[in-house]
Amino acid sequence: MIDEIFLSQLKQSVDLFLPETILVATFIIALIFDLIYKNSRYLIAVISIIGLVFSGIFLVNQSTSSAAIFSGMLSFDPFGNFFKILILLTTIIIVLMSVFSKELYEGGRKTGEYYILIVGMTFGMFLLAVANNLIIVYLAIETMSISSYILAGYTKEIKRASEASLKYVIFGAVSSGMMIYGISLIYGLTGSLTFDAINSAMISSDISGLTLLIAGLMIIAGIGYKISAVPFHFWTPDVYEGAPITITAYLSVASKAAGFAVLIRFLKVSFFDSTNYANDEIWTLIGTIDWQIVIAILSVLTMTLGNLVALWQTNMKRLLAYSSIAHAGYILMGVVVMTDIGVTSVLIYFFVYMIMNLGAFLVVMIIANKTGNEDIQKYNGIGHKAPFVSACMVIFLISLTGLPPTAGFIGKWAVFTAVLKSEYIWLAVVGVLNSVVSLYYYVKIFRNMYIRNFEDDSEIYEFSPGTYILLIILAVPTLIFGIYFTPLLDWAESSVKIFLGV
Amino acid sequence: MSLIDIAFYFFAILIIASAYIVVTSKNIMYSAFALLFTFFGVAGIYVLLNADFLAITQIVIYIGGILVLIIFGVMLTNRITGVDIKTGTMSKFQIWMTAILCVIAAIGLILIFTQTNWNTALSPTKASTIEDIGTLLLTDYLIGFEIASVLLLIAIIGAALIARRKTN
Amino acid sequence: MTINLEHYLILSVILFCFGIYGIITRKNAVMVLMGLELVLNSANINFVAFSRFGGLNIEGHVAAIFVIILAAAEAAVALAIILNIYQNYKHINVDEISNLKE
Repeated sequence: MIDEIFLSQLKQSVDLFLPETILVATFIIALIFDLIYKNSRYLIAVISIIGLVFSGIFLVNQSTSSAAIFSGMLSFDPFGNFFKILILLTTIIIVLMSVFSKELYEGGRKTGEYYILIVGMTFGMFLLAVANNLIIVYLAIETMSISSYILAGYTKEIKRASEASLKYVIFGAVSSGMMIYGISLIYGLTGSLTFDAINSAMISSDISGLTLLIAGLMIIAGIGYKISAVPFHFWTPDVYEGAPITITAYLSVASKAAGFAVLIRFLKVSFFDSTNYANDEIWTLIGTIDWQIVIAILSVLTMTLGNLVALWQTNMKRLLAYSSIAHAGYILMGVVVMTDIGVTSVLIYFFVYMIMNLGAFLVVMIIANKTGNEDIQKYNGIGHKAPFVSACMVIFLISLTGLPPTAGFIGKWAVFTAVLKSEYIWLAVVGVLNSVVSLYYYVKIFRNMYIRNFEDDSEIYEFSPGTYILLIILAVPTLIFGIYFTPLLDWAESSVKIFLGV
Repeated sequence: MSLIDIAFYFFAILIIASAYIVVTSKNIMYSAFALLFTFFGVAGIYVLLNADFLAITQIVIYIGGILVLIIFGVMLTNRITGVDIKTGTMSKFQIWMTAILCVIAAIGLILIFTQTNWNTALSPTKASTIEDIGTLLLTDYLIGFEIASVLLLIAIIGAALIARRKTN
Repeated sequence: MTINLEHYLILSVILFCFGIYGIITRKNAVMVLMGLELVLNSANINFVAFSRFGGLNIEGHVAAIFVIILAAAEAAVALAIILNIYQNYKHINVDEISNLKE
């Protein structure tokens, strides 16, 4: 029943929930302004940016302590905070990118709802990063998904966009249907839906292993769909190619980040012995199912298939789609380790991946603004037509391959060291082989840009100053974090604490 | 056999038979109407399981909302209602393989589930669950309640945005 | 023989497999959506049955309510997207829409 204790806890929860509340307020204010000023071009984008920045200020200022809020439904901890900041940065960059997107504003299209839905999607992902209850996970995944289904088909009269959106919604609905079935089985096994209660039920009673495996696989299928892990990746190339470039970039970074956050939290809080947590290095699995092997298999499949299929791609969006599948595989390697070092490496890799992947998509977008499509043939001679943009693209490509002195190297280095410290040496070998394969298709882009040069040399592409500023914002950190990475390491190491309940 | 047993078997057969029609009928309108009986049967199962509020919700939202939506979808995407739409492009062999795999999966799952020791406890008998559901929704699940409201707002905006006709 | 948890679970498994069968074999997007509703209903039967036999734990009922809410939202958005596809292509069979192929 409602009493004083509940009310005081609720008040504390609402205080800690401020960044999310600001997002919802932004969502509603933007909606009202969109109704009043129907024809403004950038007003809603400006309102969204203001709201996101405010939310970010409160997010950064929040204390680093851990707490269970809203009756244990959400876990407020540094781990969730890291992912929230990452998602927020991505969102701000995406909104800025969208302002320069030609595809989006073509034919005087209204874009108010576009920015509104991006804010709504951010709200869903924030919740996913802190969700500590399977029903909240399901609700947050759906909040994120429903916004992204619509955003993928935002340019609705373009056939390939509407097609992308149909594929995304049908397969997405099916995968979340599987997930809720798995959740119902977990509920039947443990009698509870909160991660820490599942954990204590698993310690205290004898759980049937096979049923738990089926339920866990169904839930991982739902999350795996969002992080496009093989074999749940089949939608990725089509949706990434059909959706507007800004949304493709957003899906490839932010929704993956949210998916990884919930995957790590779910595995760690539910399936690892929390009573033995005094020693941070060792996580002990409870139950008979070895989840490490399950994730290791997913990881190998994901990176191998992503890299091999990427070799044949001729469309830049499709190529980057497969490349992002491969990167999800590398990040899953960090999850396999299942120690604090592993989680730290995941955080580092994700931050680096955010910068370099957004950068690559930004270049694809501004080239597509000029040439009208993303065919790799259009990149012939770009190195001479747009020297600065191409130079930035080279930085991003080197970083995506994982070569020094770029940030990508630091990410790869962190993940591989973590894997080598565990007993999964073979996994590290597969990862290195995959990185070598990936070199080929990244070099292919480079070759098209600089070495193949036909047609006319005379034409020089001009870009707006805003796009240059955005490029610099993304390219400079890619280089800086490759050389001076201590702050990133420190931040990741301090963010690794996952709140485990009381 | 008690009355409850008879009711269970009645609803179970209703659900299975109508679900079979939903997934096999060549006529999309027949499928939609069979879905009505499936939803109704599930509502009956909820009553047997002491979930009175859910049974009403099932009828109001599933039958009154989702099913009407689906039937509208069928009618709006076919200019003449009730006409056979080409529903299958898979070969007979593929469909049979899928059917066999589904049957194997069903048998496997049933075998596993009957061996599993589920979390069970003696249940108190309650006249109605409405009060408990209301309390839980506004205390522990308050945040879920709020997320659901934001989600529905997003869905309304999005559906209206995508489905409205081109203005220019 | 009285009706116990296993009976409800068997019913839910059968409904789930019908749903999966429909999702795989049907090509019409609206039909796939109907298969999906069967899957969601089977999950809900699980939730309510586990709740009933697990000491009338109301959490399962609340979970089922959220599933119903989300099914409605998802169906609305999916049908809006299907309508849009129909306006663009004049048909809604998933496999005939093939601009995006390897």
